[in-house]
Amino acid sequence: MHIPEGLLPPLHAAAWTAAAAPFVVHGVRSLTREVRANPEAKLLIGAAGAFCFVLSALKIPSATGTSSHPVGVGLGSVLFRPPVMAVLGTVTLLFQALLLAHGGLSTLGANAFSLAVVGPWVAYGAFRLVRALTARLPEGTSLSLAVFTAAFSASLGTYTVTSLQLALAHPDPEGGVLGAFAKYATVFSVTQVPIAVIEGLVTVVAVRLLTSVNRGDLVRLGVLRPAPAPVPETAPREAADREAGTADTAAAGGDDKEKNA
Amino acid sequence: MTPIDTAAYRSRWRRYHPAVKGVLCGGLLACALMLPPWPAAALVAAATLGSAVAAGVPLGLMARAAAGPLVLIATSAAALLVSVGGAEPVGWAPGGPARAAEVAARASAALGTQLLFVLTTPVADLLARLSRTRLPAALVEVVALTYQMLMVLLGTAHRVASGQAARHGYRSRRAGLRSAGALGGVLFLRSLDRARRLQEGLACRGYTGRLTVLVDERPVPPVEWAAAAAPPLLVAALTLTSTALR
Repeated sequence: MHIPEGLLPPLHAAAWTAAAAPFVVHGVRSLTREVRANPEAKLLIGAAGAFCFVLSALKIPSATGTSSHPVGVGLGSVLFRPPVMAVLGTVTLLFQALLLAHGGLSTLGANAFSLAVVGPWVAYGAFRLVRALTARLPEGTSLSLAVFTAAFSASLGTYTVTSLQLALAHPDPEGGVLGAFAKYATVFSVTQVPIAVIEGLVTVVAVRLLTSVNRGDLVRLGVLRPAPAPVPETAPREAADREAGTADTAAAGGDDKEKNA
Repeated sequence: MTPIDTAAYRSRWRRYHPAVKGVLCGGLLACALMLPPWPAAALVAAATLGSAVAAGVPLGLMARAAAGPLVLIATSAAALLVSVGGAEPVGWAPGGPARAAEVAARASAALGTQLLFVLTTPVADLLARLSRTRLPAALVEVVALTYQMLMVLLGTAHRVASGQAARHGYRSRRAGLRSAGALGGVLFLRSLDRARRLQEGLACRGYTGRLTVLVDERPVPPVEWAAAAAPPLLVAALTLTSTALR
């Protein structure tokens, strides 16, 4: 949920920007270190940024027909970790404001705080917690439960912070900030709770697909535990291409033009 | 390209320096946010609409792009009409309609200025100048790479989703969930694969770690700065005068 341009007073917008800044700066520092040590990581990070933007622009089925811009935060944080997501999320939000007019430019800091800082940390915390709690369960079940909880709680965490931001900006004349928070949280929960459930389910399907066709990358990214049997660090490219093609035609849909390009 | 970026490339104001458009739109945004909403919001809206017509912005697209944010603005403003936690658990807020109108007017006017900027300034024009700022080079490169890859990936997403729809992938809610998840997974594979192939291709061409673009920069004539600053200054002057007269 993106706060549009002009909905927050300038002081609030500046304060939320200041709150998000340390996380983004920390993310940029770790990104710079990573790129310096490993120059080809830049292209992967750029691809990850594009992936986050496109995920956020996807229309997924929801209670009220279709809804755009969920999915990204949960999946992104599980795959790329919160510090990188603080940067990727902020870049995604900037492009959403410039290319889709989703979210404002003066409210970029506030949106970055909820969507690129709180959402990813909540998702990552939930993911790690559930993975630890379900360590005795089979890998597939544990991963699905952890991914669902991560995406669901990221979505709810984001919307809770957005409600708080609006409540602080527009407190209730009688109930104060708490009353305003109750109002905004109630109004937005009508759409956000079903979206959070759907987002959790969609993310589980996406990660299950990735586990079956691209195990090597998920192990490298730390999402999956290395299997006891030796697993190649990165799946051979031809095999990955073939598997991606299979998944694409069997489950996702043909894309021959893309292949020929 | 997204419809907004396409319109920005076609805009009559495309040739002006982004900073000039930034002064106009940023100035109007500041007026909308900081001055009393009546008459500032109305004046900002009028100035924005006038500028949009002058720049040849398609007003239909502007309205469509505004529709989503306007729903959120209306919902947030409507919440100001009711009050909770007072003598009655839920009741009409005293002065609620005036506050709701003020917030809605302010935010709608501000939204208009954002739309005017994005509909007249292609993102590529901004990115080309980003490398001259003092932002870390790694960040600037990642932002530029993200922009270059996201249009291709958007096209991929669109094609995969059309393929899924053609095979009744979205016929039921259950199938829709499965298709959306598969689409997310396939996009991740495609983006990683594209990055690896791009890396190999660039390495073959002697990639040094910089993908800079030459910008044909001309000095901005003072008259353009003045023309960009005039509408916000006029709005501010009119608002402050009318407030003082009241």
